[in-house]
Amino acid sequence: MKTLNIIPVLIAVVIILLSNAVFANDDKYTQAMQKNIQAVYTAQSIPDYQTAVNAFERIGAAEKTKWEPFYYASFGYIMMSNQEKDGAKKDAYLDQATTALSKAKEIVPNESEVIALEGFIYMIRVSVDPASRGQQFAGLSMQVLNKAVEINPNNPRALALLAQMQYGTAQFFGSSTAEACATTNNAMEKFTTFKSENPLAPQWGKQMAEGMKGKCK
Amino acid sequence: MKILCSTLLTFIALAGYAQTKITGKVVDERGAGIPLANVILVDTYDGTSSDTEGNFEFTTTETGTKILLVKFVGYKDSQREVVLQGKSVTVTVQLEEMINELEAVMITAGAFAASDESRRTVFKAIDIATTAGATADIAGALNTLPGTQKVGESGRLFVRGGDGTEAKTFIDGLLVLDAYSPSAPNTPSRGRFLPFMFKGTSFSTGGYSAEYGQALSSALALDSKDKAEMTRTDIGILSVGGDITHTQAWKRGSIIGKIQYTNIRPYFGLINQEIDWEKPPVSIEGSGAFRQQVGKDGMLKVYGNFNHANYSIYQHSIDDYNSKFLYDLTNNYRYLNGFYKEALNDNWIVRGGVSYTYQENDAMVGDDNIVETEKGVHAKTVFEGSLSDKVELKTGAELIQRTYNQQFTFDDGSNLTRAFDEVIAAGFAEADIYTSNKFVTRAGARFEYNNLMDQLSVDPRISLAYKTGTSSQVSFAYGKFRQTAKNELVRINTTLDPEKAEHFILNYQRIENNRTFRVETYYKKYEDLVKYVNDDASVLNNAGNGYAKGIELFWRDNRSLRNTDYWISYSFLDTKRNYLNYPYKAAPTFASKHNFSAVYKYFVQAINSQLGFTYSYTSGRPYNNPNTGKFNNGETPVYSDLSFNWSYLPKPYLIVYLSCTNLLGRDNIFGYEYSTEQNANGIYNSRPVRQAAPRFLFLGIFITLSKDKSVNQLPSL
Repeated sequence: MKTLNIIPVLIAVVIILLSNAVFANDDKYTQAMQKNIQAVYTAQSIPDYQTAVNAFERIGAAEKTKWEPFYYASFGYIMMSNQEKDGAKKDAYLDQATTALSKAKEIVPNESEVIALEGFIYMIRVSVDPASRGQQFAGLSMQVLNKAVEINPNNPRALALLAQMQYGTAQFFGSSTAEACATTNNAMEKFTTFKSENPLAPQWGKQMAEGMKGKCK
Repeated sequence: MKILCSTLLTFIALAGYAQTKITGKVVDERGAGIPLANVILVDTYDGTSSDTEGNFEFTTTETGTKILLVKFVGYKDSQREVVLQGKSVTVTVQLEEMINELEAVMITAGAFAASDESRRTVFKAIDIATTAGATADIAGALNTLPGTQKVGESGRLFVRGGDGTEAKTFIDGLLVLDAYSPSAPNTPSRGRFLPFMFKGTSFSTGGYSAEYGQALSSALALDSKDKAEMTRTDIGILSVGGDITHTQAWKRGSIIGKIQYTNIRPYFGLINQEIDWEKPPVSIEGSGAFRQQVGKDGMLKVYGNFNHANYSIYQHSIDDYNSKFLYDLTNNYRYLNGFYKEALNDNWIVRGGVSYTYQENDAMVGDDNIVETEKGVHAKTVFEGSLSDKVELKTGAELIQRTYNQQFTFDDGSNLTRAFDEVIAAGFAEADIYTSNKFVTRAGARFEYNNLMDQLSVDPRISLAYKTGTSSQVSFAYGKFRQTAKNELVRINTTLDPEKAEHFILNYQRIENNRTFRVETYYKKYEDLVKYVNDDASVLNNAGNGYAKGIELFWRDNRSLRNTDYWISYSFLDTKRNYLNYPYKAAPTFASKHNFSAVYKYFVQAINSQLGFTYSYTSGRPYNNPNTGKFNNGETPVYSDLSFNWSYLPKPYLIVYLSCTNLLGRDNIFGYEYSTEQNANGIYNSRPVRQAAPRFLFLGIFITLSKDKSVNQLPSL
């Protein structure tokens, strides 16, 4: 009996070891990423973000062929820039965000999420110095966000960011915000319907769209 | 069996999951902890971030020899091998500070850099376009900065006791021979190059880099824009003419063409003018810019423009208004600039190019004809790079060739030609040596050979800058500068020595939270200025000399008041020189002791408008009254001007721009002209030099046509 009992245990151990050998990397990757994605979504302060970004950079450096670590590192830097008050430091974080994102772009040149994040970076660039940068970066942001929507019309983040830019432009010129609000509604809808097969796909942005929705009422 | 089983499991666990603890501390060069540094066990997921004291601790199941990499923004990466065998590893990692743009001290003595790219500039490219009173003229906007003296009847840059020819303009490092459009006597001229063409402007009021030669007082270095991003057409309807610009952009390049017609006739018909125009100025101008990215980092830029302008006026005698003669001027101007920049490797870039200027002034003075032509070629190559992360080197060579010719054809058929050819071969080298992010020394020298006087010269330049706090710094600059005497002097005596100046500048600057404070003091010594021998304008030597000294203040704040940006400049100048016909050292007529400017810009969201006001004050300038015994002893009334502009954006693709100078209509007097002969009572008659018009009103409507309707011409205004 006792000898018989050991066999399933051994088999189980072997299977676990084998499956670890075969699937370990991906599983480990997904797990590590999920943990840190959670961290970057719940970060409250610049040190929180930097800690999460550091983790993404470690994973990205080890993996080299995955775009998600660089994407989230870039996202983390954008959030840091958002929290920073000093213009020069905001820009420095955005430089880091750009560097990280360009690595993601090398791996997946046509990923709507990555391109949308590029548009987000330009959007924050404007906020550093609207008077002298509005022209150049607002235009670039629009251009890039439109491209992200073109690639994936269901990407709610690309839509939400585009709505934000449209709203800002309309407000600046005192023109109608109808277009911006239509894009917002579209984004809201896509937030509920759009499901990516990628377990590590970005999930953020719904609050931003909800905020826009509030303004549209 | 149970024992066997658990032993087996333990064994497996040990083999696969032996843990090593790695602890340590990340410190800077002074031993202070660096928080949030990234500690990476290379090629694994393992690692951590250092805590607020710089300490870190993590465990890893990896075994064998691995690389531990530590990195943090602003520091060089550090890596070392660690042996992982289950025993704790403790390391102290010292990171070496990197010299980086954000933290490092900058040389600011004498320099006003305006760029949209660099973050710590005092002045932005768009500021030039939106400064009231400047009407989108580069010199006009720079005249609101300290170090400049307003000379209302000229429109040029007069820097620290220097005259208008002592400030030189460079586009992408290449010399522009005459950067100003022709203007009637005593009316301000405008720069030939519009601010929207440039992404960066570096205006130096002294102590500039060894790269720039042939400028005694100031170097204005303009960096042209890179490739245009969007295909668009811009139309400008102006109260004094119109322009149309088309931009065609493709993936790696762009081309821009512009044509502009300016006719001030209708304007002069509307408003009574001081000047007796026969034909007010009319000009047609075209320009084109081509950009192409080459390879990975190469960029080719070609820019060219042509301008044809004409006007004629009646010059009245001071003694008798009815005695007058006609002065008719036709100016033809062409400028071509080809620039190439390429990265040689990660550390070195090469840039260079060729510029060509052609200028012809064909004047009829009464019945005499004077044709003045100047052709110039400037070729230059510069290598820039780092010898290490603490030493940056810039070195280059250039050749400036100028041909000047003045041809008189007198009414009686006789003629006279005065001409010269100048070739200057120059080389320069300059190194920026950073001792730390806090202290930098820039040392360089410029070598020049000039064929006119067959002379070889060496001019040293040195600057130091020290960061006194996170946002404040002190800098010092010293340099020797030389410049060939003005054309009208060299054409009389081609072997004149260049005029020379020595600059000593001390600067303190503090930039914090969108507020800038700057104070600068300087001493400038002039030598070898051209002098008339025995008061005879046809016999010249280099016996003249002079000095200028002063103190300047600048304050800018775009934070304290909502939607408001303003700056204030004050310059005090004490200068005297003995040159040309001066009997002894005296303050020149273009020098004013006190200059004050206040620029105010206010954004009104409710009406999509930016409003701007500029107030300028200049204390009285000297003038020579031959009726008194003392030279240049007269003093004009003070100059003051309040200008206004309004940019209105009703639609994303439409801008309405209105500007008016001298709102208060002050009758500014720049000086007095005297008759060359005494009248019956033994007195020289005089006439004041006044503004051409009390006010200049300008209205422009700018329309942009593009696929994306959210684009407008704001930055080009």
